[in-house]
Amino acid sequence: MRRLLALWEKETLALSRDVLGLAVLFLMPAAFIVVMSLALSDVFKGGPARRTEFAVIASDGPEFAKQLTERLAGDGFHPSPEPPERGVLHVTKPALTLIVPLGFERALGTPLGKAGSPPALKLVADPSLPPALLLAFQQRVLGVVLALRVSAMMRQAGIAANADAFDLKRAATLSVETIGGSGRPSSVQQNVPAWLIFGMFFVVMPISSLFVVERREGTLARLVSLRVPFSMLLLGKVGPYFVVNLAQAALMLLAGRTLVPWFGGETLALPARWDLLAAVTACTSFAAIGWGLLVAVCSRTLEQATVIGGVGNILAAAVGGIMVPRFVMPESMQRLSEVSPMAWALDGFHAVILRQGGAADIAAPCGKLLALAAVLLAAALWVHHRRRVPVSAQ
Amino acid sequence: MGTLNLEALSFRYPGRGETVLDKVTLAIPAGGIFGLLGPNGAGKTTLISILAGQLRGATGRISAGDEPLEALRRRRPHSLGLVPQEYAFYPMLTCAENLRFFGAMQGLAGARLRERAAAAAAFARVESVLGRRAGRLSGGLKRRLNLAIGLLGEPEILLLDEPTVGVDPQSRAFLLESIRSLAGAGRTIVYTSHYMEEVEAICDRVAIIDSGRVLVSGALSEVIPDDSDLEELFMQLTHRSLRD
Repeated sequence: MRRLLALWEKETLALSRDVLGLAVLFLMPAAFIVVMSLALSDVFKGGPARRTEFAVIASDGPEFAKQLTERLAGDGFHPSPEPPERGVLHVTKPALTLIVPLGFERALGTPLGKAGSPPALKLVADPSLPPALLLAFQQRVLGVVLALRVSAMMRQAGIAANADAFDLKRAATLSVETIGGSGRPSSVQQNVPAWLIFGMFFVVMPISSLFVVERREGTLARLVSLRVPFSMLLLGKVGPYFVVNLAQAALMLLAGRTLVPWFGGETLALPARWDLLAAVTACTSFAAIGWGLLVAVCSRTLEQATVIGGVGNILAAAVGGIMVPRFVMPESMQRLSEVSPMAWALDGFHAVILRQGGAADIAAPCGKLLALAAVLLAAALWVHHRRRVPVSAQ
Repeated sequence: MGTLNLEALSFRYPGRGETVLDKVTLAIPAGGIFGLLGPNGAGKTTLISILAGQLRGATGRISAGDEPLEALRRRRPHSLGLVPQEYAFYPMLTCAENLRFFGAMQGLAGARLRERAAAAAAFARVESVLGRRAGRLSGGLKRRLNLAIGLLGEPEILLLDEPTVGVDPQSRAFLLESIRSLAGAGRTIVYTSHYMEEVEAICDRVAIIDSGRVLVSGALSEVIPDDSDLEELFMQLTHRSLRD
């Protein structure tokens, strides 16, 4: 135990003097959390919380255009203060322009025969507009047109009716309740655990770099000659990096609570069960350290360690929903993401932070992460055993 | 501890065809300095690595006195010390931290650890730089720290693999004098070097190996002809062709 403590002390001292390595472990995920939380806040907010400007150009006159505009406004869709001229619709502002042809208002009161075609409207949209917003506005236009048509036809039938009565929003109220009560992840709820996981897995860099230096400089050979078991040398790296991972988790949660709102983003909602959060963090840490140890044992040079560790992390992050949330991925990619340990970790964090889940909800991701950690550690020992020549004496 | 005996020691690296050590037989008496010489690739470092327990899979027998070396090391884990040719310490740690760490790895603790670290530092004359990061020391100080770490456990067998490479004449003279004094304390010292004058100055016995085979072995006075010197003998036995 004394030797293990000495190994932990050595590793801690070495890491504490590697300013660049520490910056990668702490500043990088914090910077990603702030930048990505702010940059993607609109994407996660969805339609109503996002401001989208629109304009109506109606050949039937400004009154009809005004009536349509008033009915279309709301739920994040705002009339443009400067409606465009017909000839300059290619300009991206406003994002949506509804073009109403001459005679449309009159056509609303005309019943459609079996062979008749509905009046034609045209919507000019900014190509960068999210498809979901475009679809929402299309449905909104059709809803308004339906209300106007029904009221016009009822008037023709001699029944006094206001289009407001047929507004779809008045048909019924529909509330949405989501699991855990907080709905889809907000930008900060997605990005804090995501980039925390990314940062935690980056312990692969200092672990493998120091290990390569130990092998290259003959330090590892000296330790082997002192009959220090190789398994103890590996365990000597687990303790300090586990503490580093816990510190990362604490600081990234703090960044979500303070730094992101300070820059104008949302505040991270904290979980109700801190014990479960600690369990998910610990399991993620073991998997990350196991990965670091395997890369360390397999890499013969610093370049190899950097490339294998760095590229491996980036691929796992891209596939695992760290860089792009999994719910926006196509189904095939979502299935593929299930192979990424970062996706398992993210599932665990979301179960605790987002869905306020219980122990049963984190059992599967935690189990997978622990199993992976055991496999990676066993693989590191196996690779070392197979080489049987741990020294630079070759 | 008696003579360190190597009997028919052979070794090849896994997955490689050539034999690195081929039936090496040597007798290394206690209380002296044994010079192990050979051109690059001769098998010196491999032999040192096997003695230090870093390489496994060698055939043959190694014993210290009547006891297999492995059994001695199981019984007294720190009976053997290694000073490798690399600076085998942590450059980001201070000299004191390195001494403390490697001492702890040898099972030392508390007052005993402090005492051994201080003694090793004093012996290698690195006391004045104990607070400095090891990576920022001069070449001579690095070599001396390397030696100090090798002496922490007071080993009975000390393996020195080219311990004077890259140092100035003053540090070299100091290191050689120190090594000679270590042998006087009854240790068995195996010393590898490419510097023939060093070997002639401090070693009692030598062995010249090449391509994993022992070409000559014995007391210096026995192996060097009267009208020759060690370097001439070395070149005569190993020839002049370049090795790397």
